[in-house]
Amino acid sequence: MSFELKLALRFLKNGKIQTTLIICGIAIGVAVQIFLGALITSLQDNLIENTIGNSSHITIRDPDDTKYLGNWTLIVDQLSREQDNIKAISPTIQGTALIRGTDKNISIQIKGIQQEPADIIYGISDRLIEGDPVVEGNSILVGTGLAEELDTVVGDTLKFLMPSGETVPFVIGGIFDLQNESVNETLVFIELKRAQKLFRSGNGISAIEIQIQDPFNSDLIARQWRNEFWDVRIDQWQEQNKQLLSALSSQSSSSYTIQFFVILAVTLGIASVLAVSAVQKTKEIGILKAMGTTSRSASIIFVLQGLILGIIGAAAGGVLGILLLYGFNSFAAATFTIVVRWESILIITGISVAAATLASVIPARRSANLNPMEAIKNG
Amino acid sequence: MDNVLLSCSNLIKEYGEVIKTRALNDVSLTLYEAEFSSIIGASGCGKSTLLNLIGALDRPTGGSLKFRSQDYLAMNERELAAFRNKNIGFIFQFHYLLPEFTAIENVMMPCWIESGKADRKKESRAKEILEIVGLKDKINNPANNLSGGQQQRVSIARALINEPNLVLADEPTGNLDSDSTDQVYELLRQINKDIGISFLIVTHDRHIAEKSDRVIEMADGRIVRDYLTKDLTPDELWRGLAPCNCKAIEHS
Repeated sequence: MSFELKLALRFLKNGKIQTTLIICGIAIGVAVQIFLGALITSLQDNLIENTIGNSSHITIRDPDDTKYLGNWTLIVDQLSREQDNIKAISPTIQGTALIRGTDKNISIQIKGIQQEPADIIYGISDRLIEGDPVVEGNSILVGTGLAEELDTVVGDTLKFLMPSGETVPFVIGGIFDLQNESVNETLVFIELKRAQKLFRSGNGISAIEIQIQDPFNSDLIARQWRNEFWDVRIDQWQEQNKQLLSALSSQSSSSYTIQFFVILAVTLGIASVLAVSAVQKTKEIGILKAMGTTSRSASIIFVLQGLILGIIGAAAGGVLGILLLYGFNSFAAATFTIVVRWESILIITGISVAAATLASVIPARRSANLNPMEAIKNG
Repeated sequence: MDNVLLSCSNLIKEYGEVIKTRALNDVSLTLYEAEFSSIIGASGCGKSTLLNLIGALDRPTGGSLKFRSQDYLAMNERELAAFRNKNIGFIFQFHYLLPEFTAIENVMMPCWIESGKADRKKESRAKEILEIVGLKDKINNPANNLSGGQQQRVSIARALINEPNLVLADEPTGNLDSDSTDQVYELLRQINKDIGISFLIVTHDRHIAEKSDRVIEMADGRIVRDYLTKDLTPDELWRGLAPCNCKAIEHS
């Protein structure tokens, strides 16, 4: 063990109360930062997931809302060829119909989809309560709300009254719960080609719904595509959710501000404790220098104290922070779970150790600049 | 003489930037191996200043300082620190032991400074020295758990551990009662005789000055008298020491 480390450890061990208090201070600071950071991030992720998790990030339509998009296969081909940041491209056709009930008619939203890409966007398979997640021919998927209202089960036949006046029978292949009441009550998934025939759109569709890998890139990607596909309308979720995003961003800023001031308070605490310790030890440092300790060594003693306090405090704070998170997840009746992010815990503890070391610079400089003769003069 | 340990010539030390105060005025001095010398003089006459310059704790304004013909004024801070560690032991009026460490750990401190760690040899040497200073049964006591005299003896052991050539002591007994003073003096003298280390002691105590080999008397930043005690009769010596503000401590 080096001479400096030996002294640093002994100084800390000897000032037990001071050392314990400052370690508690760092630990609480780190724990608060970990908890607050994880809480805010998880809350925001949860909000964003609810907003865009099962919906289209970028939607391509005909500029005229009343018209169908005719050249969509070209666009889909080009996108799937050129883009590697896309999760799913789902062509859809949307329209309304009526279901004749016993005492009233129910208005429904028909969504014509291709099975595979739509499943990625809406997560239909995962949210199926009954039946098979397959849309094919006459087989359709309905929401739990609609099934309840019509008192039907998988295998039953429903008759749709189309805008054209014709009545078309369908068989319920599955019942889904998309966790949205109005969607569950009105939405019906049908095979795309069948829907095109029903609505007589020819080859046309209502929209291409797209999910991308990083939803926060949607504005950039949409801007790019607008240059490429100039004869269509391209909407993206960030434009449609500006208020939510600005609220989230101010929430993040306030969280960072709180974290910054916590770090600052902890740093000032360590700096003041070490500065007092450096003053108290003036004569000891003086005699150590007289005995041959270099200024560099004299300052390293204090830097090491800061570093040790930082490491122990940050480690204790890390454990405390993680316990807080697990406690929150187990006991608080929250509608979401806080995700423990190890990389952010590492960053927070790393910054705290660095701050603690930085805090020791003032006492370290004092110790380095101490003149041994002045220090030991006058007893 | 070829057993010169340290020589300084025309040493000048001034303090202050605008108004300069000259604390040391053209001091030349030669110290020899295994010599036991005292510096006496009134307060503020430059005794401690001279000791600090010799101990490389401070740099002179002018003049030269040589340790066995090595000019240590030319050294940088790092080299000077290593020089002090290896060649010079310090004993001050206050012991300045580190209260966080035990007696033996305080004694080992100069070894730790030198190499970061201490080998077994140094450790057994530390025990030997603590035995010499009469603290055999206190080696593992915390430093702040010892009496004033014991603490000063630990600081003497600490000054000796690296086997320096010269021990500089600034009123080493100034803070001790008369019994402890006698013990500390006897101890220093014994070490000087047994190991052959040179001692230069700043003192106000004429009993110590009287028992030295050599007395260097200072006034107003100069050396005014420099003599060997064996050249004077006890009466001459005692009378000569009286005007120098030496405390006449009554010994029982």
